Amino acid sequence: MNTVMVKPERCIGCRHCEIACAIEHSQSKTLFGAIAEDPIPKPRIHVEVGPGLLTFPNRCRHCDPAPCLQVCPTGALSRDQETDSVIVDYNKCIACGACAMVCPFGIIQFEKTYQVSLDRNVNTKCDHCIDRQKEGRIPACVEACKTGALEFGDINDLIRTTRKDFTYKILTPSGGEPEVPEIPENIQAFRDIMKKITEIGIFQE
Amino acid sequence: MYVDPKVLKEESEKRSLDKTDQEIVQKAMEDGLETVWDRLEKQQPQCGFGQLGICCNRCVMGPCRIDPFGGEPKRGVCGATNDLITARNVLDDLAAGAAAHSDHGREVIEVLLETAEGKSQGYKIQDVDKLKTVAAEYGIETKGERKETIAKNLALAMLEEFGTIKNEIQLVKRAPQKTQDMWKKFGIVPRSVDREIVEALHRIHMGVGADYVNILLHALRTSLSDGWGGSMMATEGSDILFGTPTPNTALVNLGVLKKDEVNIVLHGHNPILSEMIVIAVDDAELKKLAKEKGAKGINLVGMCCTGNELLMRHGIPIAGNMLDQELAIATGSVEVMVIDYQCIFPSITDTAKCYHTKIVSTSEKSKVPGATHLEFHPENALDTAKEIVKLAIENYPNRDMNRVKIPDKPMKLMAGFSEEAIRGALGGTYKPLIDAIVAGKIRGAVGIVGCNNPKVKQDYGHITLGKELIKRDILVVETGCAAIASGKAGLLLPEAASLAGDGLRSVCEALKIPPILHMGSCVDCSRILMLAANIAKELNVGIEDLPLGGAAPEWYSQKAISIGAYFVASGVFTVLDVPLKVFGSPNVVNLLTDGLNGLINSAFAIEPDPVKAADILEEVIEKKRKGLGI
Repeated sequence: MNTVMVKPERCIGCRHCEIACAIEHSQSKTLFGAIAEDPIPKPRIHVEVGPGLLTFPNRCRHCDPAPCLQVCPTGALSRDQETDSVIVDYNKCIACGACAMVCPFGIIQFEKTYQVSLDRNVNTKCDHCIDRQKEGRIPACVEACKTGALEFGDINDLIRTTRKDFTYKILTPSGGEPEVPEIPENIQAFRDIMKKITEIGIFQE
Repeated sequence: MYVDPKVLKEESEKRSLDKTDQEIVQKAMEDGLETVWDRLEKQQPQCGFGQLGICCNRCVMGPCRIDPFGGEPKRGVCGATNDLITARNVLDDLAAGAAAHSDHGREVIEVLLETAEGKSQGYKIQDVDKLKTVAAEYGIETKGERKETIAKNLALAMLEEFGTIKNEIQLVKRAPQKTQDMWKKFGIVPRSVDREIVEALHRIHMGVGADYVNILLHALRTSLSDGWGGSMMATEGSDILFGTPTPNTALVNLGVLKKDEVNIVLHGHNPILSEMIVIAVDDAELKKLAKEKGAKGINLVGMCCTGNELLMRHGIPIAGNMLDQELAIATGSVEVMVIDYQCIFPSITDTAKCYHTKIVSTSEKSKVPGATHLEFHPENALDTAKEIVKLAIENYPNRDMNRVKIPDKPMKLMAGFSEEAIRGALGGTYKPLIDAIVAGKIRGAVGIVGCNNPKVKQDYGHITLGKELIKRDILVVETGCAAIASGKAGLLLPEAASLAGDGLRSVCEALKIPPILHMGSCVDCSRILMLAANIAKELNVGIEDLPLGGAAPEWYSQKAISIGAYFVASGVFTVLDVPLKVFGSPNVVNLLTDGLNGLINSAFAIEPDPVKAADILEEVIEKKRKGLGI
């Protein structure tokens, strides 16, 4: 199963993924075209802030079985067999919010999209960039991520890298050369400083 | 708008340290006013590439960014590495800061020139002694000359230095010889004020060098052209025109606004127009008009560094520092906020729209949509000032008294500690201070300067660090928002000496001075340089040898980078709390926090915890004391 794996420790909150996602879900598929469109395209991935100003890019996990799909009363949600994605038939969506009530990740959103002709809000959650996938391309958010926080591939392959790193670490005295690089000292130092700043101001928990 | 009082209280305590500020933070929230803290929350998350300094947005082959985790991309399209991109960003920010200070300085000297030529309205040369002293440094004949002639020659000589081809700035020679020799050795003696800024802009262009060390050395040189050039000219020019400050007492915090008077807030940095407003409010006709409109009088208060300038010289009350600008308006009691430039929120006119407040912009280079623009020109400055006061009076009947809330207890403070005043109080020589330092009663001194930053609880950094240092017998001198913060907290009073260690306390009590001295606005960090320079000269050492430190605990602006850099380049070890945008380059971090030590016996440290910052500064001071054999 191909999926987008998130490495939260590598997310630096730049929101490139959000912009790339909005562009991908625009009519023009270009930045300069997208910002002038009506309805204006919205990102379907959300970079949220947590403790210590650390960030996490949250998007549809395309669960299987998918709670949203199971509860949808109109059959607007279905699974694309080729890509294992949970997709929305916008014309069938009645914006009742049942899917949002059961979504464990809180990533359902109701927005206007050019993909439905009626002037109403529909479930515009992540569609796994299904059009791109069918052209053999990776999802737009993953392509945009320059820090490796988002990776696309077979879930077991992606997990295997970490497993292999651990094996190297435990078997070599120096820790070996990991495939997933450690967080560099300077970045850790920066995060430690920002964490302290969150303790002395409005970011206090 | 209803907000749970408990939530209001908790949130206000996160935003601001001062009780009077907290009171108005709560009112602003109840009023549904969007403030800087709300905007900061809406900006989360803030881009990591930008924060780490590894985003380059200069040319259109880009914008580019570097993977901070060591993967690809490792270079921008042009080939720039994380080191180069970070260094160029630092230089860019620093040059903007130096430009802001120096352009402010230029305008002061221009007014000095027009005043000397009899072309300005309302201005006088008020400190003839200083005029003569500075003129003598420039080799200008003062004996038997009219003060106007001296002032004209001095103004022309100073203005010439902005673009001079002499390859030197006169005021730089005020630094101790040893410090100057160090600058010569590393090729960072500033050659003119504008030149270093222009060259900085040249150097950040694509393809002008790829050596981050070379770029950062130029950043130091640019900062020196600010501290020992543009900023120092701003200080000296303002002193000559408006008088060199002497110790005074005044009031501070939002409580200086008055319920039954026309409130005018003077906000920004350059005192040239505000000084005329100080004269204008004494106009009998305007006073009469205020009475006719139902006000008991006209209440002039300062804000930020324009406020500091007026406080230092006239004891005009000061409403607050950078994060107080929206809060002052939120009291619902401000008829007019006059703005000149720097640190004025671009949204200030929208803030004002929620109340009856009018924003009056006065500088040709700093217009804000929605403001009433009454432009400052030296030829008719007093007329403009009167027009502004009249506008404020006429706006008084529009005040909705039901929406007014003013904290009721202004704090007392002591300000006006120019370098000359400090030296004067010591009997004309620094010997008594040096003796106290040698004897260990005072371990050293730290300049706490810089801004507010909504990422840090307002004033928390300044106050905690200040208290921590005086407790350890370290004298503190302050400018800018830091000084206003200490004022609000009651630390600028002689009584605050009780919070100091035994040694510092005894010195403060003997001299009847506070343990934290207010030395002026942010361009007046040049006064701190002069204090350090004169002490070093009496001891025949360099500034870098003295037991001094600097700190910018709540800095936000490019100007603060320039100040921090000229402190460090002048030999003063400086601690910042909010990180510089350099952590995407370990090499640049290492150079700024360590490598510079080997060049100029001083460096930066980044430490958000003010107590730990005090530990770092104390350690540096003790190390330098050891170096001096004391």
